Amino acid sequence: MNTLDGLAHGLSVALQPSILVYSLFGALLGTFVGVLPGIGAMAAITLLLPITYYISSEAALVMLAGVYYGAQYGGAVASILLRLPGTPQSAVTTLDGYPLAQQGRAGVALFTSMISSFCGSILGIVILVLLAGWLAEVATMFGAAEYAAMMIMGLVAAATVGGGAPSKSLAMVVVGLILGCVGTDVNSGAQRFTFGQTQLLDGINLVALAMGLFGVAEVIANITKADRHGPPDRITLRQLLPQRNELRRMVAPIARGTTLGGFFGALPGTGSTISSFLSYAMERRVSRKPESFGKGAIEGIAGPEAANNSAAITAFVPTLTLGIPGDPIMALMLGALVIHGIQPGPMMLEARPDMFWGLVASFGIGNLFLLILNLPLIGIWVSMLRIPFRWLYPAIIVFICLGVYSVRGATFDIVMVAGIGAVGYLLALASFSPAMLLLGFVLGPLIETNLRRAMLISRGDPMVFIERPIACLFVVATTGLILFATCKAIFGSRPQPKDEATS
Amino acid sequence: MLRNYSRRSLLAVTTAGLSFLAMPVAAQDWPTAPVHLFVGFPAGSSPDTIARIIAEPLSAALGQPVVVENKPGAGGVIGVQQMLAQKGTGHSLGITINGPLTTAPRLIDDLGYDPANDIAPVGLIATSPLVLAVGADYPADDATAFIEDARENPGDISYGSVGQGSGAHLTAELFASEAGIELFHIPFQSYAEVTTSILGGEIDGGFMAPSAALPHVEAGKMKMLGITSAEPFAQVPDVPVLAGQAGLPEDFRAELWNAFIAPAETDDATIQMLNAELIEILGDSEVQKKLLAIGWQTAPGTPDDLSARIAQDTAMWGEVIDKTEAED
Amino acid sequence: MQRDYQDLAWGAILALLGAFVAAYAATSYEIGNLRRMGPGFFPVALGLVLMLLGAAIGLSALKRAAAPQPLAWREGLGVIGALIIFALLMPRLGVVIATALASLTSSAVAPRQGVLWRLVLCVAVTFLTWLVFVVALDMTIPVWPKVQ
Repeated sequence: MNTLDGLAHGLSVALQPSILVYSLFGALLGTFVGVLPGIGAMAAITLLLPITYYISSEAALVMLAGVYYGAQYGGAVASILLRLPGTPQSAVTTLDGYPLAQQGRAGVALFTSMISSFCGSILGIVILVLLAGWLAEVATMFGAAEYAAMMIMGLVAAATVGGGAPSKSLAMVVVGLILGCVGTDVNSGAQRFTFGQTQLLDGINLVALAMGLFGVAEVIANITKADRHGPPDRITLRQLLPQRNELRRMVAPIARGTTLGGFFGALPGTGSTISSFLSYAMERRVSRKPESFGKGAIEGIAGPEAANNSAAITAFVPTLTLGIPGDPIMALMLGALVIHGIQPGPMMLEARPDMFWGLVASFGIGNLFLLILNLPLIGIWVSMLRIPFRWLYPAIIVFICLGVYSVRGATFDIVMVAGIGAVGYLLALASFSPAMLLLGFVLGPLIETNLRRAMLISRGDPMVFIERPIACLFVVATTGLILFATCKAIFGSRPQPKDEATS
Repeated sequence: MLRNYSRRSLLAVTTAGLSFLAMPVAAQDWPTAPVHLFVGFPAGSSPDTIARIIAEPLSAALGQPVVVENKPGAGGVIGVQQMLAQKGTGHSLGITINGPLTTAPRLIDDLGYDPANDIAPVGLIATSPLVLAVGADYPADDATAFIEDARENPGDISYGSVGQGSGAHLTAELFASEAGIELFHIPFQSYAEVTTSILGGEIDGGFMAPSAALPHVEAGKMKMLGITSAEPFAQVPDVPVLAGQAGLPEDFRAELWNAFIAPAETDDATIQMLNAELIEILGDSEVQKKLLAIGWQTAPGTPDDLSARIAQDTAMWGEVIDKTEAED
Repeated sequence: MQRDYQDLAWGAILALLGAFVAAYAATSYEIGNLRRMGPGFFPVALGLVLMLLGAAIGLSALKRAAAPQPLAWREGLGVIGALIIFALLMPRLGVVIATALASLTSSAVAPRQGVLWRLVLCVAVTFLTWLVFVVALDMTIPVWPKVQ
């Protein structure tokens, strides 16, 4: 079956009324849980899992996939309006989305995020269709050395996107890396910094960290602030939509973000996080006005949103073509397939082409649903900002509690949110970037385990990073980035705080 | 919800009172409320799927909802801890893999429970062997050739596991020490990573669930050299058992299992009743089919059988852990 | 304007944290070497780097002046208190009572007088929570206090 036949066949599968209904339901539920702080696709998919036993495998997968990318759309809403990111990807969206909302341009930010998400997904589907085989091949070429080198490059490239003093950004990255060490060390089994708490054996809960650093800290800061400036004026439709030149400014970031996301998404692991941060770092670097980033730059929303949605699509590549789930959500979907007696793997495209192409087609239709559904909702979301903050925040706090609890049913994690929130508020007060901490936290364990694994596999020979071509490429790129930054710090025209030398 | 509860418990109390006259068996006043089944793994994982497969018929048999509570973490230990934190009235039960009952006391510093004294075994549910899988390019085609290769190149053959002290790690070490060979251990976070690494040629092989290796074997990218069960396994009937091959003892056996457990203070009659229900459920061919589809073979038995299995495996894995710790 | 005490304090805190992490990891976990890194290798290295960064932040703050930031400690206490109340009460008293109490605690620190609106809000939040998490999402959480 060639690609065109496949797609046609896929459309005929995806356009069956029952499949359409499940796709729509999944997308709706995904948006709904995505908007709720802390509750993400994971919780919603867990919830739907029992239902999937009773419906056809196509319907099940289409519904779960709808939840998965629907949550990406919804997650942006909470990030932009309230600075409540549920995932590291949407933490990137807060960097410029929230300032835009503060300036009364929440509609523009939401519109940008939605249109970029849509374009990212559609282009991601194109990448999936054309390059699935190649990407799967590349994914198996990525060993420990490649992962370690790639993650270090990602960290270096994105380490200062938070804005502000470089020493403060770097300190937050390092604190994140240290927090990432908490829990059982994969290589030795040592229980690090757990202080007798078995709940910490698997590390600090990512959602608890994100909710504490962003959500709780922001709520505390806003209680007194928000009621001072009254509700924003009535908003006309025109103000909701970006101006023509703003639309034009989105095009290049979307294209770059999609490419980054499409590639990194196919690598099992945290492809979507790293591509969001990389996309943001890239936009800031190529921008003619890098100083506008962090203050409401359209490009800073468009690039990362396109990247993480395109990554969400290509994340299906290893799951479907190798039977290897890239993240816990993919593992859940794989589980749903296995229940139906379908073993995804190298033979899936041949054994069940209807499944594969039907899914691909339903991705497109689902994303179209999401766009149609979400654009009219922008007005409603924006008018939510007119509600005085004191009416909103008690609900936000309870929702954060239940969102965090939903991850693994541990009240311990809610107590963690309280502690992290208190520290996070004090850090924000001193203008430390929480996004940098989150970046270090996500990448830290990956860098450490892969670096140590690479050295173990090479029997302690560091040349492995030079001898393996892909790893070498990343090492060269990282060295280039560091040299570039150093040169800029020494000879650069922009006045920089002195303390960058310590990095 | 509250009204529902009280009506149900009222009903339960009445039936309990009536049946007390007819049939003087204890534990008739159980269950009076929904039964919570604690699982130490996230939704969609195989222990969770097993719990849900059991929960449905169990709920029908008990006449009370059976709620699966996922308390994932620390290799299933959190689930056991959370079950033990509830009252032992027979309304909080658990399904767990072997680790938290056998190796956890050795591997986790602050376990907070003692499997021998704090847990009441209800019954074994199902077992799963592991297969020794290697990449398709690996020179050996059977276990004998593999062991010979390892004898000639001690410490050169690398294998992946899902972490220090995981079933895959300990099984490989047991295999190595019984065969008198030395293998090189590379820990990973998940089977997905181990598989990718084998496919990419980074490591030579590893012990894994048959269902994880099967699709890659069918695609010609992997080979299965042997299986750790005593008998050939229904899911992969062609894979020979390792026991007795190339100097391995005839009783070589290493299996993962899932078991039904309760807090130690649970009433004995309740345990007996649960065990009877469990054996009944596991006898159903539909349940057996569903379990086999996800790689598990039913293994019904008495609570005492499970106790014996826990003691036996604790001793066996304890020796392996002693050996690996001595090497480090 | 006064000296930038906030950054000075944070510099010191981060440096101390770094020192603690490095010292704790060095004494508790095996460090190994570059070829075969032990579980202590990364934490020790990161702790030392954090020490340096903390020192840099603190030292640069010495030469700078900054207006002190107002600390919203009342609001902070209300929000943190609400979170902890929820965490402690939810498993025992169920989500409805925990939500109501958490909502009252957090709204107590809002900059607006009056009791009535707080009660209305409490009922609204509790109802909404029940609707979303118990009815719509059907989460496995205790809804009411345990009967037994």
